[in-house]
Amino acid sequence: MAIAFPVRLGAAENTLIEQLKSVGADATAERITVAGLPTRRVEAYHYTDLKLLLKAIPPLAQAANEASAPALRIAGAYQLMIANGMIQSHATAPAGVIVGKAAGTALSTRDDVLVHLNGAFARQSLTLTLENSVDTVIQIDRRIEGLAAHAADSVKIFVADGASATIIETFSGSDAAHVGNHATYVALGKDARLTHITVDLSARAVSHFATNEYHVGEGANLRTLVVHAGAGLARTHVFPRYEGTGAHGDITGLNLVSDGQHADITMDALHAVPHTTSQPLFKSIARGRGKSIVQGKLVVARDAQKTDAKFMHQGLMLSDEAEILSKPELEIYADDVVCGHGSTCGKLDEDSMFYLMSRGIPKEEAETMMVRGFLDELVDPIEDEALAEALHGVIDGWLLGK
Amino acid sequence: MTTPILEIRNLHARIEDREILKGVNLIIPAGEVHAIMGRNGSGKSTLSYVLAGKDDYEVTEGEILLNGESILEMEPNERAAAGVFLAFQYPIEIPGVATMTFLKAAMNAQRKARGEAELLTPEFMRLVKEAGTQLQVDTAMLKRPLNVGFSGGEKKRAEIMQMALLKPALCVLDETDSGLDIDALQVVSKGVNALRSDSRSMLVITHYQRLLNHIVPDVVHVFSDGRIVESGDKDLALQLEAKGYADFDGAAA
Ligand SMILES: Nc1ncnc2c1ncn2[C@@H]1O[C@H](COP(=O)(O)OP(=O)(O)OP(=O)(O)O)[C@@H](O)[C@H]1O
Ligand SMILES: [Mg+2]
Repeated sequence: MAIAFPVRLGAAENTLIEQLKSVGADATAERITVAGLPTRRVEAYHYTDLKLLLKAIPPLAQAANEASAPALRIAGAYQLMIANGMIQSHATAPAGVIVGKAAGTALSTRDDVLVHLNGAFARQSLTLTLENSVDTVIQIDRRIEGLAAHAADSVKIFVADGASATIIETFSGSDAAHVGNHATYVALGKDARLTHITVDLSARAVSHFATNEYHVGEGANLRTLVVHAGAGLARTHVFPRYEGTGAHGDITGLNLVSDGQHADITMDALHAVPHTTSQPLFKSIARGRGKSIVQGKLVVARDAQKTDAKFMHQGLMLSDEAEILSKPELEIYADDVVCGHGSTCGKLDEDSMFYLMSRGIPKEEAETMMVRGFLDELVDPIEDEALAEALHGVIDGWLLGK
Repeated sequence: MTTPILEIRNLHARIEDREILKGVNLIIPAGEVHAIMGRNGSGKSTLSYVLAGKDDYEVTEGEILLNGESILEMEPNERAAAGVFLAFQYPIEIPGVATMTFLKAAMNAQRKARGEAELLTPEFMRLVKEAGTQLQVDTAMLKRPLNVGFSGGEKKRAEIMQMALLKPALCVLDETDSGLDIDALQVVSKGVNALRSDSRSMLVITHYQRLLNHIVPDVVHVFSDGRIVESGDKDLALQLEAKGYADFDGAAA
């Protein structure tokens, strides 16, 4: 007979329980009381043990009074802002874009503590409906401002049949020890196309958590890119669901970690119907004692014959002390599929570095050129030039900001 | 006497625990072209890498002076800006770095290091086009990643094209002729000869006397077991071709 010992709760958990009770989320409070925050024994949190890593939770966020400078400017983009969980007023939307608000989180319920917490704390969701081809890049600028705060926010995006758009979400704010819990729910209609980029540019003291849920319809085409380039602790959980014949996803991500940083991208993909394809491609660059984690799970449902999916993770170590961890997982219930995974990890090629330097290019610049080359596959497919340039700026900035 | 462009004094270098250069002495006055010939594995490429500053090698003794100043403490990029250029025996393929981006970065980095203004794009394009035409490197090649998918001969032509663009004081050519067909040998030799000048010196490493009919050297050195064992005029290359190395380095052929 198994005897269940109650878990010993830490300061972070106790604060969370109090905060949950204060907003009336008793069920979630009860879950945490019983189970605590997930540890390495929970598969999806194997390398990001929240019980160990989350030492404290700051007070729940209040409305923000001041805003810091935008973390990333994209020329010509249409801007929306959420500060400390609250949607800010915005300019008139471009043609084909409907901006609105809905109560509560946009995420579907699932057995995941960060999803539950978002459900409890996100008061409203910014909703975006894209009705046709929208050429203007849409930027959702999410901030946590002021003193250290625990903030939750949420965005819901619907791309109508045949519509297309490019959306970039940026996460930033003041440099206090915030805990951010961010949610994005995306649904793509028939033959819709979407490029969805999320870039964490938070301060080092921040713990950044994001959950991105995607529903990809018939013939729809999704490209995503998660970039972690800010918070000391960053984790994005990506849930793509391929739900219509011909649905395709290029799910990509990039962890840029320096000394003392911990970044985790965990993908949990479901190919639910026949004839869907995906190409998850993740890259990690780590220096100092930085730690990068990429987990990729591909689940193929029993009916989902002819699924074609391959998970790939490539790591680049810029120091000997850095850690790059990779965990692929295949769970395949159909018998006629092409699925696979691969991962590589290495250093910058010394002969290449010498060649570039022997032509007069200084070491840092040569490194930047090589790293840009390594990352081309992620940035090249982004068609909007201003956006691609902004992303190169993020990468170059990280490289130079040792 | 004017300062030579290159002066190497009693140079010893090793990789891991193995000594490869065992006391190289060499002076190349401004305007001269010197050839080095020697057996496989005698250390010729090692000498070229040590000149360019590859950090796999440890210099244990000796000195390298460029225009009278030691370059041993300089990084490879600093040596390049000071005027050293190595045309590699095996040019490196770098996927992900576009050839044009690379050329521009290299030219501008050197200009910057020398305190000169950056090249503007139209001027850069003009120079690249000019050098490309001269060395028959077509624009399709320049659009590819650096050296990726270039044939052996194309890589060598691209090296000399870079040399033409960077206008170094000291050109080190490591077996630039190997892998070239007869026509390409003409093109490359012409490119190299066009760069000969009173203020520039060249060190041409080769196995074949044939190259030296095209790029006529002032001095030929025989390299053996990590040092120069014999020096002479261009006829030395003919003697070597006729007799082999054994007469010069005493080792069995
Ligand atoms: N990384 C290394 N570790 C150990 N030995 C090395 C290394 N690199 C080169 N060597 C050795 O150094 C010696 C000199 O090599 P080098 O390439 O300089 O010869 P070379 O004269 O250029 O020959 P070739 O005519 O074949 O090009 C060789 O015996 C080679 O095996
Ligand atoms: Mg050699």
